[in-house]
Amino acid sequence: MAAATRTAPRAREIFTTLEYGPAPESHACALAWLDTQDRHLGHYVNGKWLKPEHRNSVPCQDPITGENLASCLQAQAEDVAAAVEAARTALENWSTLPGARRAQHLTRLAKMIQKHQRLLWTLESLVTGRAVREVRDRDVPLAQQLLQYHAVQAHTQEEALAGWEPMGCTVVVLVPPASPAPLLLAQLAGELGSFPGILNVISGPTSLGPVLASQPGVQKVAFCGAVEEGRALRRTLAGQGLELSLALGAESLLLLTEAADVDSAVEGVVDATWSDRSQGGLRLLIQESVWDETMTRLQARMGRLRVGRGLDGAVDMGARGAAARDLAQRYVREAQSQGAQVFQAGDVPSDSPFYPPTLISDLPPASPCAQTEVPWPLVVASPFRTAKEALAVANGTPRGGSASVWSERLGQALELGYGLRMGIVWINAHGLRDPAVPTGGCKESGSSWHGGPDGLYEYLQPSGTPARQPSLSENLNYDTFGLAVPSTLPAGPETGPSPAPPYGLFVGGRFQAPGARSSRPIQDSHGNLHGYVAEGGAKDIRGAVEAAHQAAPGWVGQSPGARAALLGALAAALERRESALAARLERHGVELKVAKAEVELSVRRLRAWGARAQAQGHTLQVAELRGPVLRLREPLGVLAIVCPDEWPLLAFVSLLAPALAHGNTVVLVPSGTCPIPALEVCQDVATLLPAGLVNVVTGDRDHLTRCMALHQDVQALWYFGSVQGSQFVEWASAGNLKPVWVNRGLPRAWDQDAEGAGPELGLRAAQTKALWLPMGD
Amino acid sequence: MGVPIFITAVTNCCWIGADNCVILGILGTDLSWISKVQVNHPAVLRRAQQVQARRTVKKEWQAAWLLKAVTFIDLTTLSGDDTSSNVQRLCYKAKYPIREDLLKALNMHDKDITTAAVCVYPARVCDAVRALKAAGCNIPVASVATGFPAGQTHLKTRLEEIRLAVEDGASEIDVVINRSLVLTGQWEALYDEIRQFRKACGEAHLKTILATGELGSLTNVYKASMIAMMAGSDFIKTSTGKETVNATFPVAIVMLRAIRDFFWKTGNKIGFKPAGGIRSAKDALAWLSLIKEELGDEWLKPELFRIGASTLLSDIERQIYHHVTGRYAAYHDLPMS
Repeated sequence: MAAATRTAPRAREIFTTLEYGPAPESHACALAWLDTQDRHLGHYVNGKWLKPEHRNSVPCQDPITGENLASCLQAQAEDVAAAVEAARTALENWSTLPGARRAQHLTRLAKMIQKHQRLLWTLESLVTGRAVREVRDRDVPLAQQLLQYHAVQAHTQEEALAGWEPMGCTVVVLVPPASPAPLLLAQLAGELGSFPGILNVISGPTSLGPVLASQPGVQKVAFCGAVEEGRALRRTLAGQGLELSLALGAESLLLLTEAADVDSAVEGVVDATWSDRSQGGLRLLIQESVWDETMTRLQARMGRLRVGRGLDGAVDMGARGAAARDLAQRYVREAQSQGAQVFQAGDVPSDSPFYPPTLISDLPPASPCAQTEVPWPLVVASPFRTAKEALAVANGTPRGGSASVWSERLGQALELGYGLRMGIVWINAHGLRDPAVPTGGCKESGSSWHGGPDGLYEYLQPSGTPARQPSLSENLNYDTFGLAVPSTLPAGPETGPSPAPPYGLFVGGRFQAPGARSSRPIQDSHGNLHGYVAEGGAKDIRGAVEAAHQAAPGWVGQSPGARAALLGALAAALERRESALAARLERHGVELKVAKAEVELSVRRLRAWGARAQAQGHTLQVAELRGPVLRLREPLGVLAIVCPDEWPLLAFVSLLAPALAHGNTVVLVPSGTCPIPALEVCQDVATLLPAGLVNVVTGDRDHLTRCMALHQDVQALWYFGSVQGSQFVEWASAGNLKPVWVNRGLPRAWDQDAEGAGPELGLRAAQTKALWLPMGD
Repeated sequence: MGVPIFITAVTNCCWIGADNCVILGILGTDLSWISKVQVNHPAVLRRAQQVQARRTVKKEWQAAWLLKAVTFIDLTTLSGDDTSSNVQRLCYKAKYPIREDLLKALNMHDKDITTAAVCVYPARVCDAVRALKAAGCNIPVASVATGFPAGQTHLKTRLEEIRLAVEDGASEIDVVINRSLVLTGQWEALYDEIRQFRKACGEAHLKTILATGELGSLTNVYKASMIAMMAGSDFIKTSTGKETVNATFPVAIVMLRAIRDFFWKTGNKIGFKPAGGIRSAKDALAWLSLIKEELGDEWLKPELFRIGASTLLSDIERQIYHHVTGRYAAYHDLPMS
């Protein structure tokens, strides 16, 4: 038996050093797949490769070696149109199928991914440079699980989602140039045969986004990317009649208290930033009493991290290409110049594409770097003294993506988990994902959701929603819309009894004189002067938003039951006022019988929402996780509402009730033509509800809309008014990326339960937070 | 949690042997870190899963690592039917763990690769010492003691067992702790017992088996590890191999973190020995990389790291065979142990 057929020249040496060696994952299959396309990738549309002539192409490079792997065609407007056309054709078939059939197809796609998983993960890791382990062990299984989860949902949709319909248009994905994995996925889906056009992938620059959005038939645009890109897209798509959902930024937060298992929390930091799991950097808040200990452990841990080629099976972190590296480098240099300490460690190859794990501390809180988003693979650590301070610091940024809390004290962990304004909070873990749990954010991280029930509603609309009508006014001047308030002059003698409610704006629980000290006349249906209401302006909105903010903590702190009781009391007060309110409505041309019905319905709405809001939040069960995930429904904060002109009382109450029931505080602009019933309700609000909870500002609707839409501290805005107003609101919301709901000039049947009190209002009146609570001892 | 009592135990260092007072002097100045110790079970489980997925070695690296792993093995036989003949065979295997021609092919034949020790019941120590002497090597003999595996005998006999094993020539003693003391929170008594074991060992190395499968929680594992180290153990060992749950990664992570904390506080390096259930070469590699990741290269030597195993060695030999020849070995290609 001759043993020496293969020799190991280095074994002796390795035996002494016990170093790690290269553990390359073969990417031959990825290259072979690229070869099937002759290293020349087009778009995948309607189940076929589309490789139009005369297009620019960009090289797809290995981020580590710089080797050209393939060239990718850049789409042009015609290609986009072709893809949308394919999707529209496919929709006709697809949307009329029974749910069970769709479920079957999704399951088949999941299986297809399973069959070709090696190809998928090697290709993805090859071109992105991410550690293959993360793609193989997390991304690919998660993709399959998401498909399976939605297959289950499709099975039950006829019952579970009755009353909802698809938004329309199947999927067209615009991927940044040189990312072939989505194309491969589309090919896998296309090769299933039955419904070729349901997934179409075209590659091209972000500038094609608006072109894609403006295609007829497109109803919904979901965008993942940088915050500024999202903001720009929001502005460009204003008035296009589309639903736009944004998932922006990638920074995460880790809150480490003195009651934490520090070693495990340090692993959490590694998971969050240095394991190629997330796209962004991390802000790390450490309680001062464990600062030194944590830093020692963190730095020791960093020393053992390995950086290298993503396709190596033994690295923690790959490379992300020149752009990501330069971004990190720039941030570090700036932070240093602003006085920060920088610590870098780990086993990092010296050649250029790699960037070492980096820990930044002592960054002055007021420095520009402390405000900007932390890029990959950086961790910016800062101390805090108490849990209260931690919340203030953590919530003191425009970002609201994901966070983890590390504390072994249950009470403290929950306090922090509930207090963080984030889309996802993990307790004593970081970066867990599951298809049954919604993933999303709030504030400038965008309020779009993926997975779980929230992910479903993203693509559904209440049955009977009118089809999208392009209502874009090209000549709407955003700079001047609603800027000037027309001056009001005395409008002749007041006829009839003068309005019962005191004159003024209802702000902070009492009627106040408007800042402008001027008034606007209100006419009844016969054109006679009914009375004057106060002319509100920018200063009044500022005051109202401030009052609402002050009332917010108290209202959020109330139990849903207590809120329901107060809404009930308000309903009772309205009932007592019925005849006065009906008379008021009658004066504006409503038949007495109808007016009475409107008051009655308003009373019902208040009561109904009080009861509905009692059942909020529920537990999701996640495979492979011991412990629950809570899907919390939290208030948006200060919600601004511009009520429609029609149904002056009913629409006002129908909007107010769900907003209050879900714990928001509100600033409302009542009907322009008939604001008096709303002011009348305020008289009861003044005596029954806490001051500042409800604020009603009358005046020029465009002007007030402008003030609220541009207000950075208004957390959400509902607008029911003109086409132009809707467009302006969408445009202006880009400032703080507040979620907006606009009617695009379309009337709404407020007296119908589906539109006036449907589940859509409840969904819009609160935001989701997924709170992960792993357990074990 | 019993921590306050524990602190008392440590601060009363006047009744503790003088050698240990140095360590306790260092620890005694700042004890708050012990009471703050928190072990989060689910987080440790996740880390345990990751650590196996994040590192791998291939080709020459794998072969070299496997040979290194051989030098960490406490080649063990702990059966009721052990006799002098199978102990003798074990000892011979300890001296020649890998076929000579395979080592030659790897150019490792002059590295004197043997297992770290052989580990037997006290009654077989004489056999082992004699066999190893006959084989002409100075591989240490480790003996289990103190009522192994349950530890449910009188302290007096447990101590006597140590003394006899040492007398017979065992230079390493694997003692089991009294689990009841951990479960009832009698940390002071536990400390005291291990101190007495230490004294009874004399010059012999003391490896303390925590029997982690029976300690109830990871926090208990951490505290027991800390006590064992403070009381003067040279090694802490996961399990006897006779519990239902033996050497697992989560438990190991907690023990390794305790070892690291102890080192940071006192400057003393304590060894670690997982035992029970480590059967495949792949497992062995994972254990090596776990040590490398959690403690660093300084711990990767037989003085600070052992693997208690019996069948592991033959699987390693098979893998080496495959590495060298490119073929999978038949059962009869490799000598039995």
